[in-house]
Amino acid sequence: MSDLIVVEHVGKRYQTSSGPIEALHDVSLAVGAGEFCTVIGPSGCGKSTLLGMLGGLVTADGGRVLVDGRPVSAPDPRRVATVFQEAGLFPWRTALENVEFGLELQGVPRERRRAVATELLGPLGLRDFAAKYPRELSGGMRQRVAIGRALAIDTQIILMDEPFGALDEQTRLLMGEWLLEIWRRTRKTVVFVTHSLHEALALSTRVVVMTARPGRIKRVLELPMPYPRAMESAEMVGLRATLWGEIRDESLRAMGER
Amino acid sequence: MRVRLLRAAILAVFLLAWEGVARAANPLLYVPPSAVLPALRRLLALDSYPDLLPSVLLTLREIAVAYALAIAAGLGCGFALGLNRVIGRAYAPIVGALYAVPAVVWYPSLMLFFGLDAASKIAFGFLLGFFPITLAVLAGIRQVNPHMLAVARAFGARPLTVFVKVMIPAMMFTLVGGLRTGLALSVIGVIVGEILGSKAGMGALINHAYGLFRTADYVALVVVTLVLIVGSDAVAGLVERRAERWSD
Repeated sequence: MSDLIVVEHVGKRYQTSSGPIEALHDVSLAVGAGEFCTVIGPSGCGKSTLLGMLGGLVTADGGRVLVDGRPVSAPDPRRVATVFQEAGLFPWRTALENVEFGLELQGVPRERRRAVATELLGPLGLRDFAAKYPRELSGGMRQRVAIGRALAIDTQIILMDEPFGALDEQTRLLMGEWLLEIWRRTRKTVVFVTHSLHEALALSTRVVVMTARPGRIKRVLELPMPYPRAMESAEMVGLRATLWGEIRDESLRAMGER
Repeated sequence: MRVRLLRAAILAVFLLAWEGVARAANPLLYVPPSAVLPALRRLLALDSYPDLLPSVLLTLREIAVAYALAIAAGLGCGFALGLNRVIGRAYAPIVGALYAVPAVVWYPSLMLFFGLDAASKIAFGFLLGFFPITLAVLAGIRQVNPHMLAVARAFGARPLTVFVKVMIPAMMFTLVGGLRTGLALSVIGVIVGEILGSKAGMGALINHAYGLFRTADYVALVVVTLVLIVGSDAVAGLVERRAERWSD
């Protein structure tokens, strides 16, 4: 069994002031090493909860979550790095110091972590921005710093929770291309949460469609096509229609619930 | 440059108006600046009050002790109230209510408890400095973006590391502002305490000059006190500006 991430029959209920809410219901999923697995579904379907479980920030009610064969009970920065929708950079640190953060926590000596972070800034397109503070960077740059912070600790797995969700569409498309490059070069295992059909189809080796709350896995699409993908090809347009068909019903249900 | 000119202008206008009014009215009660200058010279030459230096030092010492205690207790209480939900819900409203009481009403009882010497001034300076520091810690903790804390945890930070590397820097600006206000109020507390009743310190000298109608000496002493206060606040302001670049 070569699956790096294994999720078996997990569920999650949250207690709210208006009673319990079931976020996830009996979800099982396996992600192999080197995959780019995208989770897509309507708002509130528990995508982020699922990602939180993989990252050790959320505990599952029942079932189990294994990373590299070991049950996840807390964040494990030696195996898993996370990028959030909100960049969450520290405003008192420069871009470079933000990228260094994870290494600093792991006790990597100053010169070493500075070297690692500096080297990362090149492919991040931030070489000239090392000494800038987050408030001096654009939204796309900030998100790249956050991705750099995750890449710096060099984990096998990177979790991304709508990392480009707050960006404008053009920046978003470019960031997607850029991320694809990085992923193909590093061969990391990525679990990527998004609302974007385009991102799911352009980037993933596999797309997991989730249902409206309580989130279950509705369908899994395998995408073995090579990169970069011609998104206007008949095959991709057809896949997009299929994917939208699956998601549309769930989104409608999610909207009706409100 | 223009700002400095304007500042100098208002000072000049103020001094001239003071001089004019004081001469027209009663120069003994209204002491014109022209009378203050010689008094100031005598004061600094240790002519009028030979014990000026020990008095200044005593007041500074009282301020230092009061402020140090206010910082220690303010940070301690602030973090205890802000980081522990139960303690915060139980006691934070009490702290807020006590802060609303004009602190000077406590001073007579402080003199009864601590006597007329330095202890009662320190206690009063402490009392005044304590509240703004505590409340700044509480406000600062509320301002910390919880998302940043989650990020730190995701990268494996333990609670103490989250506190040192994320929480403290994230609230630094508010914290330094509170420390600055606390310093100003500790200074006020000590000096007001000395004026309300003491045998030594700047406040006692001021009281002495005032009581004997040595109004020019009195104003000169006030000027010296002002320089001390403005100087300490200027230092605090510099620290605050350094902290500013830490915030968003």
